[in-house]
Amino acid sequence: MQEAGGDAGGGSRAGGAGSQGRRGVGGCRGGPRSAGTTSAADHRAPGVGPAQHSLGPGGDPWSSAQRPGSRPCVFTLNVPFPSALEAEIARGSLAPDAEPHRGAVGKELTVSGSVLAVCWRAEDCRLLRISIVNFLDQLSLVMRTMQRFGPPVAR
Amino acid sequence: MPAVLGFEGSANKIGVGVVRDGKVLANPRRTYVTPPGTGFLPGDTARHHRAVILDLLQEALTEAGLTSEDIDCIAYTKGPGMGAPLVSVAVVARTVAQLWNKPLLGVNHCIGHIEMGRLITGATNPTVLYVSGGNTQVIAYSEHRYRIFGETIDIAVGNCLDRFARVLKISNDPSPGYNIEQMAKRGKKLVELPYTVKGMDVSFSGILSFIEDVAQRMLSTGECTPEDLCFSLQETVFAMLVEITERAMAHCGSQEALIVGGVGCNVRLQEMMETMCQERGARLFATDERFCIDNGAMIAQAGWEMFQAGHRTPLSESGITQRYRTDEVEVTWRD
Repeated sequence: MQEAGGDAGGGSRAGGAGSQGRRGVGGCRGGPRSAGTTSAADHRAPGVGPAQHSLGPGGDPWSSAQRPGSRPCVFTLNVPFPSALEAEIARGSLAPDAEPHRGAVGKELTVSGSVLAVCWRAEDCRLLRISIVNFLDQLSLVMRTMQRFGPPVAR
Repeated sequence: MPAVLGFEGSANKIGVGVVRDGKVLANPRRTYVTPPGTGFLPGDTARHHRAVILDLLQEALTEAGLTSEDIDCIAYTKGPGMGAPLVSVAVVARTVAQLWNKPLLGVNHCIGHIEMGRLITGATNPTVLYVSGGNTQVIAYSEHRYRIFGETIDIAVGNCLDRFARVLKISNDPSPGYNIEQMAKRGKKLVELPYTVKGMDVSFSGILSFIEDVAQRMLSTGECTPEDLCFSLQETVFAMLVEITERAMAHCGSQEALIVGGVGCNVRLQEMMETMCQERGARLFATDERFCIDNGAMIAQAGWEMFQAGHRTPLSESGITQRYRTDEVEVTWRD
C-alpha cells in the first residue's frame, strides 16, 4: 500500500542506508485483530514504556544515544468500517496529506478487508502522541461525514 | 451546465459554496473569532472548522436547491494557508468526492480570489491587487500564468493590521481590519510612520515594529489617540499598495485594476485606488464583503473554470500545501 509521505523522508535520512528507518526496530503488524478498534504501542525508546530499558554509559536511560534516523516508537491502530469500500474511502481521505514532521514521524495506512490499519513510527513519543491525536480528530471528521452524507453510491 | 461545490478554510473563515455556469447558488460561511488581544492558532482554528463544516455543507446544498447527484465536481483549497485548517477541509472534500463518486479539484486559494473577482465585476484583464491577512501580491495575467509583479517581502498587509489591532486590544469581531477601519475614520492626526516600498515590492514588518513601539509611548503621553494611530497606519500602508499597483499597471499598460482579498473590503483603500486609477484614466473594480473575504464560492468558481478546461486532481496528488505560489498553476482556461 502506498505509504504516507512521512516514512519515505525518515527512511532516506538514516545515513543512506535506505530502509533502516522503515524496517525499524519493530515491524508494524497490520491487519485486523478483532471486532472494535484496537491499538498497540511498542515503546522501544530507552527508558520509556514498561517493558524495555536500555541504559546509557552514565547508567541512566536517557543518555544512551539513538541512532539518527531510527524510529523506535511504534503505534498501530485498527479501525473497522461497515464495508471494504468505506475503509478505502477513509484511506483515500486521510492518506494524501504529509506529516508536519516528516523526518521524525511517519505513518502508513493500509486497508485489510473492511479494516483501516494505521501504523506509526516515530523518533520520539511526544511527536508520536501529537500525530496520533491529530489523526484521530481528522478520522472522526471523516466518519461523521460518511455517516451524514453516505452511504457511498454504487460504483 | 456543470455545478461545482467549493470548500474553503485556509485561515479563520470556513465557507462552502455552489456555483453553476457563472451563478453563485449558495455561499454560507462562518468565522472563527478570538478574544481581543489574541490571534487565531492553527489547532484551534481547525477544531472550529471541523465543528461547523458539515452543517455548512448541508446549508449550501439546501440553499442551492441541489442534491449530491446534481453536483458535478468537488473543489477545495489545496493551498496556500494554515496546515491543520487546510487538512480539516480537504478530508471532507475528499470524503464526499468518494462517497458521491465525483471528480476532485485542488484549487489555489489566490486564484480563487482572482476568478471570483473577474466573475463578479466583469473586469476583462485587470491588474490585480490581492490583499488579505495572509497574502499581499500584485498580479497580472500573461500567457497562461497569473504572474506576480510585486509582493510583500515579509508579512501581508492584513497581518500587519491584525497584529496592530492586538496591541490596542481592538475587537476581532467581525474582523480586526474592519474595526481599525471604523476607528481610522475618527482619526485626526497623521503620525509619521516608515514608508517601505522596495521597487515593485513592499515590506510591512518594520512598520509593525515601529508602530508597536510608538503606540506604547505616544498613548501614555497622550500625544495621539488610538484612532490617530489607526488612521496613520492605514494611510501609510495603503499608499504603499497604491504605489506598487500603479507601477505594475504602468509596466503592463493596463487600464483596469481589481482589488481582491479581505483587505479589499476597506473603503479607504478603495478610495485611494480609485484616485490613482482616475489619474491614469483606468477603471477600478472591487467586490463586496461576500466575495472579498475568503468564501467557498470563489473556490467553486475557480474549480468550475478548471473543470471545464479538463483539470482533475487524483487523490494521490490531493495533499494540501501551505506554500503554493500563484504562478505555479497553468491557467489553461484563459487565452
